[in-house]
Amino acid sequence: MRIQWRRMLAFGGAAAMLANSIIPVAAADPGFGRNTATPIKHLVVIYDENISFDHYFATYPHATNPSGEPRFFPSPFTPRVNNLLTSDLLTNNPNFLNPANGAGAANPFRLDRTQAATADQNHSYTPEQEAFDGGKMDLFPKYTGTATTGGADAFGTTGQVMGYYDGNTVTALWNYAQHFAMSDNAYGSSFGPSTPGAIEAISGQTNGYVAVLGTKSASFVADGEGGFTDIGDEDPAYDTCSSKTQTMSMLGKNVGDLLNEHGISWGGFMGGFDLSLVNADGTTGCARDSTSLYTGTTADYVPHHNWFQYYPSTANPTHARPSSVDAIGHTYDASGQLDPANHEYDIDDFYAAVKAGNFPAVAFLKAPAYQDGHAGYSDPLDEQAWLVQVISFIEQRPEWRDTAIIIDWDDSDGWYDHAFVEPTSASYATADVLNGAGLCGSGPPPPGLGGDPVNGRCGPGPRIPFFVISPYAKANYVSHTLITQSSIVRFIEDNWLRGERLNNGSFDATAGSIMDMFDFNTRFANPPLFLDPEDGTPAAHPAPFPPFP
Amino acid sequence: MREGWAEGAAARWWVTRRIRSGSGVLLVCALFGAVPLHAQATNPRPYRLQVPPARPLSAMAQLGKRLFNDARLSGSGRISCVSCHSPAHAFGPPGVSAIVLGGADDRSPGFRAVPSLRYLYRQPPFSIGPDTSADSDQRLTVGQQAARAGDKVRAVKTALAPQAAAANLVPQGGLFWDGRVNTLQQQAGGPLFNPAEMAAGSPSRVLTKLETNYGEEFKAFFGPTVFQSPRLALDEAMFAIGRYEIESVEFHPFRSKYDAWLAGHAELTPAESRGYRLFNDPDKGNCAACHLDQPTRDGRPPLFTDFQYEALGVPRNPAIPANRDSHYYDLGVCGPYRTDLRAQTQYCGMFLTPSLRNVATRHVFFHNGVFHSLHDVLEWYVYRDLAPERFYSRDESGHVVKYDDLPPEYRRNVDTVDGPFNRHPGDPPSLSDAEIEDVIAFLDTLTDEDDHASPLRTDARMSR
Repeated sequence: MRIQWRRMLAFGGAAAMLANSIIPVAAADPGFGRNTATPIKHLVVIYDENISFDHYFATYPHATNPSGEPRFFPSPFTPRVNNLLTSDLLTNNPNFLNPANGAGAANPFRLDRTQAATADQNHSYTPEQEAFDGGKMDLFPKYTGTATTGGADAFGTTGQVMGYYDGNTVTALWNYAQHFAMSDNAYGSSFGPSTPGAIEAISGQTNGYVAVLGTKSASFVADGEGGFTDIGDEDPAYDTCSSKTQTMSMLGKNVGDLLNEHGISWGGFMGGFDLSLVNADGTTGCARDSTSLYTGTTADYVPHHNWFQYYPSTANPTHARPSSVDAIGHTYDASGQLDPANHEYDIDDFYAAVKAGNFPAVAFLKAPAYQDGHAGYSDPLDEQAWLVQVISFIEQRPEWRDTAIIIDWDDSDGWYDHAFVEPTSASYATADVLNGAGLCGSGPPPPGLGGDPVNGRCGPGPRIPFFVISPYAKANYVSHTLITQSSIVRFIEDNWLRGERLNNGSFDATAGSIMDMFDFNTRFANPPLFLDPEDGTPAAHPAPFPPFP
Repeated sequence: MREGWAEGAAARWWVTRRIRSGSGVLLVCALFGAVPLHAQATNPRPYRLQVPPARPLSAMAQLGKRLFNDARLSGSGRISCVSCHSPAHAFGPPGVSAIVLGGADDRSPGFRAVPSLRYLYRQPPFSIGPDTSADSDQRLTVGQQAARAGDKVRAVKTALAPQAAAANLVPQGGLFWDGRVNTLQQQAGGPLFNPAEMAAGSPSRVLTKLETNYGEEFKAFFGPTVFQSPRLALDEAMFAIGRYEIESVEFHPFRSKYDAWLAGHAELTPAESRGYRLFNDPDKGNCAACHLDQPTRDGRPPLFTDFQYEALGVPRNPAIPANRDSHYYDLGVCGPYRTDLRAQTQYCGMFLTPSLRNVATRHVFFHNGVFHSLHDVLEWYVYRDLAPERFYSRDESGHVVKYDDLPPEYRRNVDTVDGPFNRHPGDPPSLSDAEIEDVIAFLDTLTDEDDHASPLRTDARMSR
């Protein structure tokens, strides 16, 4: 029976304790027992790679449904989303009409399921701004459409950046959207590729870059206050698997530091992180790799995607193993010793910990690279298979009843998206071109680490998808509240830390709230949705979870 | 059985010698298990090989199959992909001549031998050195990769440890003899518009034919505005062809005797067994150094290529009309048909190592089709350095011009370090005549048998 949250509060006392006595929960569950502002005791952030909103939702909820492909039919009363269909941008699109795009000028076009393997687009800080063309959103083929080709079976065309998938390919995500909540107004906190996106999801901003090995000039800008801001990809310093010639680290704090201060369990769980494992193809260590059905072979662990590894306080540079499954998520092990893993684990450790009843309060998950969705080395079908398996795994746990799963993306890959918001974080570095040479936005940039305005965080960046999957998520709901990757930090702080903020330049305080995607007052929990991992269609029973080493 | 014992003894001697010389003990042990020792002709260590499953073609692949067979797309209306990539000849050339006559008049000579379209589904993209950059927001151009490779010395290629060469910073991957494209979609567009091949003419001519014959299908798949973007419609058509080549098991059947032997379902004859050992012996054929013949660690069948480029210095072929011009040289990776690596003259003369699967069905070998039988090919491998006068032309003074298909300044690019190319006049030949026959017997086992299902496809387990 569903317990109404407000009614519990009306009884006074520790509502959480009362809930404990009525809803039996594993006593070992570390998420439990903490006072939280919402009923959510477990947040799982699935952080995928390189997708713009229109790239997956351009015609949502209408799929072409050619014969032989997984079919998708929308539920009645599916809300309208701000996409290419509703904006009438499928024809006479400015990217087709603007002659500056040259031979690449193209209308948006449907990518078929057989074209899951595509080239990676250009997703660097400056080209993304150039594509935006001051908000006209009409120079994508020219600036972000310079693609590499991918493998033998990849699809490529000069205007490829205008391609989008529909529900015959990203079937699972469309089905999750039908049953849970998503946003059509979510953005990267700033422009740029994976590393800034990863950092923004845990600390809310990218000022405080420090070059440790070498100088990768394309990945930072001088912030104007004697420091630097990260705008590009670079490996985290001291990580065993990082580049031996160019690495960086970040000054300041991240949300993991705050969780540590309050003894709340949390972890970063990355595919390929456990260097002691040997994959089926014999690869081990940093060379652990996997082979996709669609995109070839690629290394599992990508150092420059590893959020917490950039901050010395939350890093595990040697990939040290946790002392036990029970220690996962905790700073100290059972005997009070500092656990060597320091909250950084392999994705397999997440499954092991949850299965052992040790479900952390906050978990960031990253798939082995071939399943993270990044064009070039991954693809939507591999991504879908992993998402379905992870989400099904969580949905079958007793802790599901108190869990929220966020699916967010680290950047847009430079894929076309039509939505533009005026910058709220201005920047005036040479790398900024959104509103002219050296110009992004207007007015002073927000303060950085040191409290003064700093350059390098032009944003919000491109629009990306954002999901909330939970028994408390609204069903078939589309949020239009403007949010960014920093909104993840804000939710964690609001839910577990009574709204404590990182300060020192973090955008957590100014990020939008994701709360409208939840309904904590409903009598009825949103039931789990089980899908087929291969085609994303609803399944009567969850697919068996694949064995892992 | 005396013959078997002698073979076994020879093999054990060979193995022991390898161990004493200290080279690659573990690899030898691995080979020890796979190489047949006695008259035991079945594989003592059978594999459960992972192959792409045989599934019905998707609608996209079916469209591609029709395009693959559609001669209307050509300028003459008589040439389709199957004209040169014959399904009955392992999707390779059906004839014996080095180059095929094509063009709008069916009489234009080509420049290179037709490669097979089989077994390209695992071809990696072109790079100089292994491509380790997942998610790089700054991708190196091939010129930059070449500069990074610089003068780095590469590992010698030996059949004992072929994976050591995988890290070499050398050109690898890509399609065509020079790796100038990466995707099957791009490859399909090459011959279509080549005036010496299908000579389709202008893109708009092709588009008109596509819209007339396939218009409704295109619009259903790719959206109603597909023909407003000519480049897109063409790319989609070529993609459909590539999709056919990816999905159809006819492009990767794995129906050879060797595959059956790997899986423990067939026996090699004594000659084939001897040939297999010679193929793998670094001091004899050393073929497996480049034509990898072992399954991958996760059980995928070997493709008999390491995807790398080599300058072997094959003799100039006077049967190619373009070669009548003594100033014309086909330099492979550095040109003339590939243009982005012209300045990297260290790659001049390099061509892609093709798969040896179905090699015994061919009548033209190497990029210039200079040889027409496997016997001639192997003779050249063995005697290139021992008796070059057998193969190369002579200059006015009567001196043999070794590597006569390369300009003098690029002849230093030719491989002289990887066996059997590391020999000098006076050295014994790497293979005797009888051994050459044995190697050919082994190469015959790499031919896909038609008209029956692969014994490897007994279950539907998915693999790439």
